[in-house]
Amino acid sequence: MGKCLSLNSDFEYIFITTTDMKKLTPQQLSTLHEHLIRTNTNDRLVGELLDHLACEAEEYLWKGYNFDLALAKITQDANSMAVKYLRETYQHEVAMTEEQLQNASLDDIIFEFRNKAYGAYDLRQTYPFALRSALILGVGLFLMMMALLSGIAKGYWDFFSSTGIMWVLGLSGVAYSIGTWFLKNQQLKHLTTT
Amino acid sequence: MEASSNEFLRGTLKTIVLKLLAERGRMYGYEITQSVKERTNGEITLTFGALYPVLHKLEQEGFLLTESEEVDGRLRKYYSLTPSGNATAIQKVTDFERFVEAMQSLLKPMNGEVSLAKL
Repeated sequence: MGKCLSLNSDFEYIFITTTDMKKLTPQQLSTLHEHLIRTNTNDRLVGELLDHLACEAEEYLWKGYNFDLALAKITQDANSMAVKYLRETYQHEVAMTEEQLQNASLDDIIFEFRNKAYGAYDLRQTYPFALRSALILGVGLFLMMMALLSGIAKGYWDFFSSTGIMWVLGLSGVAYSIGTWFLKNQQLKHLTTT
Repeated sequence: MEASSNEFLRGTLKTIVLKLLAERGRMYGYEITQSVKERTNGEITLTFGALYPVLHKLEQEGFLLTESEEVDGRLRKYYSLTPSGNATAIQKVTDFERFVEAMQSLLKPMNGEVSLAKL
């Protein structure tokens, strides 16, 4: 583990022991990482490209360059033009096939080359459910409030009047939205733990 | 030279990648570019902009398996061939060899035919 490969002229691998190798420090790695982020690299490729550029940098270091010079050379090669070319070829090559597109939602298309794990994708996926629950909850609470207020104004309580029906409707709306929300949360927990 | 060799390279990239993986078993991106550079004495250099889209495409098509390993504080993604990838590698290499042969017979001077015509 942890060995970089180098090739000699006979195309055979020589393994260089870890002690001989020039390694990048975490700071130097994060400098490269920042460069990739700044040039707007495709999310799916950042990790791999970081390793690629780090290997290049280590090769420069091994040849006797210092890190700043190596960084300058690498950022010159991996400039935003090169990264743009990469993104374009990538999207052209790895785009969804016809049949995948047929079954894809708008969210799938928007997030095709974006970071789904970040959270925005999940938020969008659950948005219709959240909207419906919030609406039912809001209307339910409003009905309950109205029923309560008119009940207080009248001074007596009767379940078989219009206020009573409003109260029952509002209560069941609130119960329904809280109940489905609770069930959904349970499901999500179950999905993430298994 | 650069532009035209790039044009030739574009159609053969998949073949190159599959062939190398068939020989070596397991490689990561930078290793592939270095190995191509060394073996062709620098005649062919793969840029990362050309290589990674092809690798991901081949993975999507089910020809490659990937494993990620942490090396020196960064993730290194290793690629290897699936059984269908192996079959495709063999197929592509033989196809390309036939193509090269055909090209060679196109490129060599037509002396033979000229002398036949003279007879």
